[in-house]
Amino acid sequence: METLATASEALKRCSKCGGCQAVCPLYGETQAESYVARGKIFLIKSYLEGKVELSPKMKELMSLCLLCKACVDNCPNKVPVDQLVLAARREIAGEKGISFIKKNIFQNLLQNNGNLSLAARMGYLYQHSGAQGLVRKTGLLKLISDDLAKKEGLLPKVARHPFRRQVPRVITGSRPRIRAAYYTGCLTNYVYPGTGFAVVDVLKRNGVEIVIPEQWCCGIPALASGDEASAAALARRNIETFTRAGVDAIITDCASCGSMLHDYADLIEGGEARGFAGKVMDFSQFLNDAVDFQPGDREVPLLATYHDPCHLRRGQGVYAAPRKLIRGVPGLEFQEMKEADRCCGAAGSFNLSYYDLSNRIGKRKAKNIQETGAGLVVTGCPSCIMQITHVLEQEQSPVQVMHLAELLSMTYAGEADCDLRAG
Amino acid sequence: MIPPSVIDEIARVVGEENIFISLEERMCYGYDGTPNAFIPDLVARPGNTGEIQAIVRLANRHLFPIIPRGAGTGLSGGSLPVNSGVVLDLTRMNRILEIDEENLVAVVEPGVVTFAIQQEVERRGLFYPPDPASLKTSTIGGNVAECAGGPRAFKYGVTRDYVMGLEVVTPQGELVTTGGKTVKSVTGYDLTRLYTGSEGTLGIITKIYLRLIPKPEAIKTLMAVFTKLDEATQTVTLIIKRGIIPVTLELMDDRTIQCVENYLHLGLPVDAGAILIIEVDGARDLIESQAGRVAELCREGGAREIRTAGNEQERNEIWAARRAVSAAVVQIKPTKISEDVSVPRSQIPDMARKLREIALRYHLDLVIFGHAGDGNLHPNILCDQKDAEEMERVEKAVGELFQAAVELGGTLSGEHGIGTMKAPYLKLETGEAGYQAMLAIKQALDPKNILNPGKIFGGEHLGNSGHGQ
Ligand SMILES: Cc1cc2nc3c(=O)[nH]c(=O)nc-3n(C[C@H](O)[C@H](O)[C@H](O)COP(=O)(O)OP(=O)(O)OC[C@H]3O[C@@H](n4cnc5c(N)ncnc54)[C@H](O)[C@@H]3O)c2cc1C
Ligand code: SF4
Ligand code: SF4
Repeated sequence: METLATASEALKRCSKCGGCQAVCPLYGETQAESYVARGKIFLIKSYLEGKVELSPKMKELMSLCLLCKACVDNCPNKVPVDQLVLAARREIAGEKGISFIKKNIFQNLLQNNGNLSLAARMGYLYQHSGAQGLVRKTGLLKLISDDLAKKEGLLPKVARHPFRRQVPRVITGSRPRIRAAYYTGCLTNYVYPGTGFAVVDVLKRNGVEIVIPEQWCCGIPALASGDEASAAALARRNIETFTRAGVDAIITDCASCGSMLHDYADLIEGGEARGFAGKVMDFSQFLNDAVDFQPGDREVPLLATYHDPCHLRRGQGVYAAPRKLIRGVPGLEFQEMKEADRCCGAAGSFNLSYYDLSNRIGKRKAKNIQETGAGLVVTGCPSCIMQITHVLEQEQSPVQVMHLAELLSMTYAGEADCDLRAG
Repeated sequence: MIPPSVIDEIARVVGEENIFISLEERMCYGYDGTPNAFIPDLVARPGNTGEIQAIVRLANRHLFPIIPRGAGTGLSGGSLPVNSGVVLDLTRMNRILEIDEENLVAVVEPGVVTFAIQQEVERRGLFYPPDPASLKTSTIGGNVAECAGGPRAFKYGVTRDYVMGLEVVTPQGELVTTGGKTVKSVTGYDLTRLYTGSEGTLGIITKIYLRLIPKPEAIKTLMAVFTKLDEATQTVTLIIKRGIIPVTLELMDDRTIQCVENYLHLGLPVDAGAILIIEVDGARDLIESQAGRVAELCREGGAREIRTAGNEQERNEIWAARRAVSAAVVQIKPTKISEDVSVPRSQIPDMARKLREIALRYHLDLVIFGHAGDGNLHPNILCDQKDAEEMERVEKAVGELFQAAVELGGTLSGEHGIGTMKAPYLKLETGEAGYQAMLAIKQALDPKNILNPGKIFGGEHLGNSGHGQ
């Protein structure tokens, strides 16, 4: 990982041309130079030269970054802005510490799946026991903070049972030709089990033996907050169980997790981490490159569009495979949206910390989606799904949001061999 | 420093959320595209002309400098707060007010990004030609204030040629409107032209009337490879002499070609002395014969190879080389000192030779690329800001390079402006009397020196060494 001390070469590469203004979603909404890559680079450089301190303002400005890499991609000098911002966050976390709540989450909750499930269970109870209804109806949250009330609306419904509890550890179809591990990610596990079932369904039908080893949060929330140690601890656990599983590939259905798992090779030294990272593949890329994928016959007579998750397109260079798979769905018509690869504003927990700003970025995405006239928007990241669903709901748009796996799984519906849910 | 009570007054004008007070945020408004940086006392982000007038009146009362700022992509230090003061960030005023298709006029606010205007008018089959390489970020206000040009300037002229009228807040806070939608206008002095290119020193531009033209039907791109730089520059003169006016005539010298090839591996001829990228546009049925004629002239001028783009992708491939230049050349050394001397077209071969001599004499890395069609060469010196001894040689070379341009009947700056970077050399070109005439205008319009002090005039030598940083 780049540290601030080793970053000065990369900082020097910034020629202050301002080109990043054209693509930075935060700049697009605010026109604030302190939010754009050039401003952040200048501040980090000034910090290293002793001209500014790690003040609360500095901390705020460094946290104001979606890590969407749009600037990096567009930069004539390829300044690794996201890496530099992460290095600055680590420096700030090291110097100032991270908040008590975050510390508790990264160092305790995320490292212990039992506790995490318990927390999810409590979330489920809150949403279903009537407590949520009561809190919403009484406007209790609005009383405390308007912002909090809106954020609560952003939180998705927690699933009754985590996905991994509902499926066996090894799932074998009729004639498996390849053995792959499935890294489910926290959102699929706790919020969108339907995506998990769809992934398993599609893989199984295409000759994949699926292993679902014990697994932990990928660590990206900790790393994005500057807590490298907690991220590394999670990485070690995942590397260990997945290596033991002895598989040919590790499949992810979450762009952010996938990108993070790839980065384990930078986070942790040694051949094992490199071996692990080398096997990580996004669901779409795996279907495209590793197996002879065949969709089902059932038509999906919809006009669909596709949103590129930042961590898939720029993080992992995956953009052709999902499009190819979508176009292959029988009966479906595909329409590219404007700025398909512009960040939707989710960016991990950015949408919780900076709700209004994130929402403005999301609205632009919603507009681009709606302009295509599509009835369905497909993407490859549960976090984007959560954000896009939220912004489309605000517009009272009927457009459906779906993970690629769910769309592909739909083409088989009605055929035998897909009902795992009973098990 | 501006007293807190005045800051409060400014905050009341624009709203709390539209000022930046923290050191960190102010620092982000103290730099531009040059290596230098300063720190303003305050950043104010007005949303309309009335707010700007109110701030200027406050400046007159409390005597603080105002520095207008667009996107901060300037290459001459025009938006640097060299004497502190209030940076007036105009990017919030970013509306396209009207596109009048009958009169071929666009009315825009100063903070609109130039590219947004072009996209909007091209959707209607119209054309706003000025195309500075920074067009996806720089603002139209900044373009007018610097009179920006671009590759298309050869055929279509520069920003000035498209400004029909302006609304300007004077240094006293009054509102002046010049020109407008009429093609002809001779009522008194041509203030539109005076404000255009005035670099924020005479007034704050708050509304711009832009002339539009119909969008050309077709475009054709060629790349011609020459063994010697001289052949390429002679060919430029030859093409013009034969009465052909291409849209663009871009030159890259051997060092530039090598850097780009090293950087991108596009398959460029690394043993070539120079490349010309030539583009012609016009009616669809004439375009092929025009391109053919240009190719013929290139061959006559000694081109050893000519590539003609058959489709959009091939066109992009040719342009990819030119676009990569800025990034590619800094691979030689990290600091890039870009000059934009301009000479009469016929003097390009001489100027190119002189540039080479100067670089050799001072042992500097120099690459030449730029808009050869209009004589606006961009000699770039690659050096290291941290190497004081080298930077001293750079300063001397830059001085000689300006001298050479002026001696050949040219100018210090074709399109980037004087700002702070070239202020010390201004008299070289204007002479004492010219300088005094300009200064008299500045003093008459802005006697309290409120607007953008320290620019154009004064000439304290900032150099390229990262002053203020
Ligand atoms: C990568 C790169 C490529 C470039 N290529 C070109 C090119 O091809 N051709 C070219 O000509 N230039 C080029 N430039 C230089 C620069 O982009 C232009 O000078 C541009 O016009 C500046 O616009 P801006 O909005 O960034 O203005 P700023 O840099 O913010 O300001 C420039 C000057 O204009 C004044 N100003 C800004 N807005 C107003 C206003 N509303 N009223 C009064 N004064 C105002 C400022 O005070 C300052 O003096 C390039 C720069 C970069 C970084
Ligand atoms: S980060 Fe890249 S695009 Fe942005 S100002 Fe620096 S060099 Fe230019
Ligand atoms: S990573 Fe995204 S949000 Fe962060 S500076 Fe770059 S473009 Fe802006």
